[in-house]
Amino acid sequence: MRNWSLLFAAAAVASVLAFVYAPFSQEWWLPNASDNYWHVASSYGNQIDHLFILILIITGVVFIGTQVVFVYAAHKFPDAPGRVAKYIHGSQRLEVIWTIIPAAILVFIALYQMGTWADIKFRSAMPKVQPLAEITGRQFQWMMRYPGPDGRLHTDDDLFLVNDLHFVKGKPTLIYLRSADVLHSFYLPELRLKQDAVPGLTIPVWFDSDRAGKLELVCAELCGWGHYKMRGNVTIHDTQAEFDEWMTGKMREQSVDQLVSAQGSKGN
Amino acid sequence: MRPRLCRMWVVWAGAALLPAGCSDAFNAGPPRYVEQERLTTDFKDKPVLQGKVRAALAKHFGDAPNEIKVPEGSGLPLGGAYLANYVKQGDAVKSIAYVPATPTSGSSDPQPVEGGYGLYRKHCLHCHGVSGAGDGPTSSFLYPRPRDYRKGLFKFTSTPTGAKPTRSDLRKTIEYGLHGTSMPAFEALMSKAEIEQVIDYVIFLSLRGESELSLIDEASTSDEKDPEALSEDVVKDIIQSVAKKWQAAESLVMNPPTPRVEPTHASVMRGRELFLGLNKTGNKVECAGCHGPQAVGNGPTFVAQEVFNHIVFGGNPSAMPERVAELEKSDPKAYELWKTSLDEWGNPLRPANLNRGIYKGGRRPLDIYWRIAKGINGAKMPSHFPTLEPDKIWDLVNFVLELPYEPKLLEGAKLPEALPAAKTAGNAAPTASESIARGQGGL
Repeated sequence: MRNWSLLFAAAAVASVLAFVYAPFSQEWWLPNASDNYWHVASSYGNQIDHLFILILIITGVVFIGTQVVFVYAAHKFPDAPGRVAKYIHGSQRLEVIWTIIPAAILVFIALYQMGTWADIKFRSAMPKVQPLAEITGRQFQWMMRYPGPDGRLHTDDDLFLVNDLHFVKGKPTLIYLRSADVLHSFYLPELRLKQDAVPGLTIPVWFDSDRAGKLELVCAELCGWGHYKMRGNVTIHDTQAEFDEWMTGKMREQSVDQLVSAQGSKGN
Repeated sequence: MRPRLCRMWVVWAGAALLPAGCSDAFNAGPPRYVEQERLTTDFKDKPVLQGKVRAALAKHFGDAPNEIKVPEGSGLPLGGAYLANYVKQGDAVKSIAYVPATPTSGSSDPQPVEGGYGLYRKHCLHCHGVSGAGDGPTSSFLYPRPRDYRKGLFKFTSTPTGAKPTRSDLRKTIEYGLHGTSMPAFEALMSKAEIEQVIDYVIFLSLRGESELSLIDEASTSDEKDPEALSEDVVKDIIQSVAKKWQAAESLVMNPPTPRVEPTHASVMRGRELFLGLNKTGNKVECAGCHGPQAVGNGPTFVAQEVFNHIVFGGNPSAMPERVAELEKSDPKAYELWKTSLDEWGNPLRPANLNRGIYKGGRRPLDIYWRIAKGINGAKMPSHFPTLEPDKIWDLVNFVLELPYEPKLLEGAKLPEALPAAKTAGNAAPTASESIARGQGGL
């Protein structure tokens, strides 16, 4: 059945074509700024994309190479009446080669990405700013605690919101990430940020955006049956003043002690 | 070699057909409303009345969840518009039958509207169940249990005890969720219009469920042989009286008569005295009897925390009745307390730990005021207005809101007079029943 190899070849070619096409489609490629889809909104986005593409090239080359050998072997040596399979014990030389090459590639990637990791995840690289919020993942929502007017968390003027992340364009923003139950993952695809929330740990996370607008926050770690509904709205404000105005409005909402409409009718 | 080849083809064909073959075929059947058990157990010798109740429900609310009928005068969109998969044409909702999506270019083309029923199935059904009975497939794993709408009773409302919630109460619950429970926030998952449709559908389910209960009540006192029993007029009256309660809710909202008292230290301390029942003047309240002297939710009127934990979380959730039966044998006194520690739905209940800063019904001062002034429907939290003057309620609100930030406020505090220490509630036999009476009578 030599023709099976043609099916495998077609699958491999289709996969490669899909990857060749991907960069030319906004839908398929990495999520980017709406006005320029080659532009990453966050300051470390390019570093992350560089690693993505490097790994894509390495895996692409390996994929093409292995598929060529695979299809060739399937085509050249189909089953034939009368031919008996030959038993070999193995080849130490081959085994050493196919262990060392992937190991070398992995070690290269591990060393190569260290600078990027240090720039993004090391505490020493964190922006020296007051945290924007403490964000706690729970099944199934993101609970956000903003420090309120006094700028300090865990005081009685904290602002509590659910699934509503706001920050200011162009400012490095720091949050404290926690989990109330299981593993969650705080994922802002447009800003190339993904960080697991781990029960028992408070993890500082930073990000920024040079574009104002609205994005989506999602959970990127399967956390239970309601994982799909663990989504949040992200609003990036143009100016600090706009952010402050939003915050003042929300603080007012949180301190409501009378229904305005009912108060009005009472006055009449 | 041949059969093996065949099998491979089956696998390939299956893989190719999989995306196209998604259907409800694996379901047991079309969705059906769950009936109240009483309709079977109480009507063994009344088959005619049983049939009448079923027929009345089918006639006024539709036979099955996918055939929605809305009773006239219910306040819901007439004819059930937006409740199910209706089709929107321009601004008007045109057709009652489901029409599959057609490619659209302008607003005058038919647009499928998911509708309350569709959204409910997607977001709510797995906990709240097909009939809104709180019996969805994920419900048994949750504490607190999801709400059963069929009693027409909702916990967190802005209306007086026992009254229906307003639409904005339900909206708030859906948009922001109930903190400290498994009810998540849906604001980011649905548009404003979609949330309104879900509210419509929840009210529809509650209306249907409460009408079912009222019809059962009416039928169980009627004469099986009376041909006039449960006549059309009676049925209509019953449904209308339920619907009217929903419509009345909007005008019953309790706005605090006075604005919040400044949350000064003095006000917080006055609140503390009220909480502990130490105030020398005015009516006393006994918050600490349930919430405990340190407000961690371990007051002596409730079953001890260890007992509660063992029964609710100590194993397979569906084996809870067995653990309760075990308690009845091993510790009858704790069992007595257990029986009074249940809510209207028969689910185990726990007073809030007020030190955590998690408020199920919302954290706005207004929300806390409502909780204290008018209690929590279906739970043991009673209403305190007008027993307490609004200013005193505000003092309590200020105390409750300050407590998580000043954990020392209740350090070393004790229950007043003879109320036993919380820890021994399970064993302190002579005083436990006393304190139940005190806790409920005084509150």
